[in-house]
Amino acid sequence: MDGMSDALQPDGETVERFRTVMLPHLDAAYGFARWLTRDPVQAQDVAQEAMLRALRYFHAFRGGEARPWLLRIVRNTWLDARKRRAAEQPLEVVEDEAAEGPTPEQSAIAGDRRRQVAAALAALPTEAREILVLREIEDLTYKEIAAVLDLPIGTVMSRLARAREKLAGDLQSRLGRRDHGLRDL
Amino acid sequence: MDCATCEAMVDVYLDGEMSAADCAEFERALVLCPDCRKRLDDARALSALLRELPPEPAPDLLRARIDRELHAIAGRSQDTAVAGRSVSRASLRWTAMAASLVAAVSIGWLGGSLSTQGSRDADELTAGFLRVASSEHPVDVVSSDRHTVKPWFAGKISYSPPVHDLTADGFPLLGGRIDIYDGRKVAVLVYRHNQHKVALTLWPAASGNGAPARIEQRDGFVLAQWRRDGFELRAVSDIEPAEMTAFTKAVDRSLATGG
Repeated sequence: MDGMSDALQPDGETVERFRTVMLPHLDAAYGFARWLTRDPVQAQDVAQEAMLRALRYFHAFRGGEARPWLLRIVRNTWLDARKRRAAEQPLEVVEDEAAEGPTPEQSAIAGDRRRQVAAALAALPTEAREILVLREIEDLTYKEIAAVLDLPIGTVMSRLARAREKLAGDLQSRLGRRDHGLRDL
Repeated sequence: MDCATCEAMVDVYLDGEMSAADCAEFERALVLCPDCRKRLDDARALSALLRELPPEPAPDLLRARIDRELHAIAGRSQDTAVAGRSVSRASLRWTAMAASLVAAVSIGWLGGSLSTQGSRDADELTAGFLRVASSEHPVDVVSSDRHTVKPWFAGKISYSPPVHDLTADGFPLLGGRIDIYDGRKVAVLVYRHNQHKVALTLWPAASGNGAPARIEQRDGFVLAQWRRDGFELRAVSDIEPAEMTAFTKAVDRSLATGG
């Protein structure tokens, strides 16, 4: 239990420091929550709860990269929310892995190709989806991804490879270009 | 570099995770290997597709909600700053410990979790214990007399908790309080053991089956959870695990004698 000098109740100074260090990553927190929840309303709730959690735990933040630290909290907040919903509604299918994710209208993505890419990514199982988002959209290093997902780096690498393979296959069938590589799309 | 190695290296190369020396070797191997070149091109194309997805910035409403919360929290801390000065160092230490523990449990840095309980439950229980341990007034009804404590709960919560003084077992009853656990009001009985306090939270169990006490230790705290005589019981303290075991046994004995 090192560094126990911080109080549970964040003081004004802590809140200010939090604003400077963590708040700039709100977009990343929301973006990641969006890909995890695949729902803009739930994503806001998760992002907000995660931010407040992050503030409460901010005393435990020992510098370093703020974004992976925050994204880890986002993910845990989402996992907890999912567990909570599962407990409340045992019959609900908590995660429909085959869900289509944001509809084209919702995601407001221009262009059919982008729409298809977004839909294919959203339809991936969580394990593949989250790691691709962290690597390709959040541009985290293997080490940072390992910290967010609490995995050894070797597992990060093998999961990432599998996720890429799956997404490439899904995209090719979605776009009907089975005979060509993705670069022809 | 053989082709299998080369294949395996494509991602690492593309992700910028390869050392300069390995990069040079990989690039030399690529020249000789059209399959791996194609593999790299495909991987690059996939990455580009994902990277051209438009970002989804946080909505203004979300930003405003968080901003409001931060203001409120900063304001609240000013209000409590004066009151806070009178709080003893010991209780500040408690609060800090709770903060670290709750953080550690919730973020999962400790690895593992309270098996059947979610981190949220652990949060709530620990926070409840800390309200007891760090407060100058840990109980709402101060009494070692169970005939005072038990009726006090009547009308405040929806059930009547069994209340027993455990002085004979080394855990004198200090009193009781109401706390919120899992969204509802629950009875908390506060016991003392030497210089330590034990918070026992209990509420009617959904299942009639008993479950033996499971005791877990985390960073100076000991948590016990069990089910007995129609009650869910949770105890949190900073005593030794063996002492917690003794406490759960004392509670069980008192429940067996009725009350």
